Amino acid sequence: MSRIFAVSKYIFRQSFRNRIMNVLIIFAVFAALFSLAVSELAQEAEVKMVVDFSLFAIELFAFLTVVLSMTIQIFEETELKTLMLVMVKPIKRSEYMLGKYAGVILTVLMNAAIMTAVMMIIIRLKGGDPWDIKILAAVSFSYLGICVLAAVALLLSTVSTTVPSWVIYITLVYALGHLTVHLKNLVDSSAGEAVRVVVDFIYYIVPNLELFNLNDKINAAAGLFAPGYLLLVLGYAALYITVSLTAACFIFDEKEF
Amino acid sequence: METVIEVKKATKIYRPLDFWKNDRTTGIENVDLAVYRGEVFGLLGLNGAGKTTLMKVLLGLLKPTSGEVAILGGTTNDIAVRSRIGYLPELPYFPKYLKVKEVLEYFADIFGIPRGAQRKKIGDILETVKLSDKADSRVGGLSKGMQGRLGLAQAILNEPDLLFLDEPMSGLDPLGYKETRDIIIDIHKQGKTIFFNSHILGEVEKVCDRVSVMHRSHLIDIQPLSAIMEKYGSLEKYFVGTVTEGAKI
Repeated sequence: MSRIFAVSKYIFRQSFRNRIMNVLIIFAVFAALFSLAVSELAQEAEVKMVVDFSLFAIELFAFLTVVLSMTIQIFEETELKTLMLVMVKPIKRSEYMLGKYAGVILTVLMNAAIMTAVMMIIIRLKGGDPWDIKILAAVSFSYLGICVLAAVALLLSTVSTTVPSWVIYITLVYALGHLTVHLKNLVDSSAGEAVRVVVDFIYYIVPNLELFNLNDKINAAAGLFAPGYLLLVLGYAALYITVSLTAACFIFDEKEF
Repeated sequence: METVIEVKKATKIYRPLDFWKNDRTTGIENVDLAVYRGEVFGLLGLNGAGKTTLMKVLLGLLKPTSGEVAILGGTTNDIAVRSRIGYLPELPYFPKYLKVKEVLEYFADIFGIPRGAQRKKIGDILETVKLSDKADSRVGGLSKGMQGRLGLAQAILNEPDLLFLDEPMSGLDPLGYKETRDIIIDIHKQGKTIFFNSHILGEVEKVCDRVSVMHRSHLIDIQPLSAIMEKYGSLEKYFVGTVTEGAKI
């Protein structure tokens, strides 16, 4: 456990001190502040505009943080051969992978926390309730979705041979993760059998990131989000993360350097 | 004499880069080798001879296609064995935004050195590699020679019984050569075993007890340095002669 913690601390430190990451965080804060300007466009429901835009920005920048943090890792491990230095040390390969995952999601958490704080200040300025449980739940589930994506990113990094190919794969997963549910609805009602099989395959393989999007439900008439739905999403995330990390550890264990 | 590295008929054949091709490359072939406790063992060879492949097979970074490899009486799959070895790769890289002591703290954590003991341990190691005044400096601000010494520091952090050095003089200036050599001699005096891979014959001559030559994936000769010096007068003469002879393979 201490070795997993050591790796996660190292990855977090390394990512967070990186200049490009610092610039990304500054952009993220600006994006959160931009919601202030967006809300001015709305004559009514300014708070809703702030929340909508902020949630979108938080998820987008969390995704960019995963991409950047992992790109730094993959580049250093493969091109600068830093991995060899660690793999000869007394650490299990699975411990290294889990530490790396923890380091990446910790970096994302820090970034998301900064953006959430900015969003809460703006909501307060606009006269809303920054501690609204629905808003905080929406942010938390958005973060959970990115944790699922980070686990898939780690799995893809074990099978990708270059940084560009990994970036392409994970961007595709991110895009498809938001689109599959819409695609499925579309083909279920109109497309032929072959197309339906292909879309079903993608639907079940690629993580359904739309499940974590509670944005639409914040202003629903019903009180809190349905507990059954939240439990289902939590279970889905746990399953997806476990399967992805197990597969990543298994593949990484067989790798040569 | 106790054997710390034992290799029997080790062969490593790399898989083709593209699965539809059949261009397999042989990294090492039928290598037999024994390295004994307390010696400095030098591995020489031309570029592409198989030196790095052999070192990676010994370290467990590559799995041999056939043959056996034993390190410190076990295999490098065993964490207990890995906790007793040190490794310095050629031109080691460390994240430039981290401080020197943070890099060593990371490796100390992996080695399981208790937090309370880390400060003194890291201080001593930095003293050994003459980087004490750089403990709080970022790696990005270090010269290439200093980064090499930081590499050496992480390799000896766990006081290894067996130390692998892959081109430890690479990128160093003449003063760096001397400082690194002094450290290697110091470690040797403590009774540690060193497996040393270098192109710089003058340095090999100054630190090694036995020398081997790899050529075209084969280990073609192993000799005590004293015997080489007696017969050939210089390591260079021996190396050139052995490689030329080996070219007939």
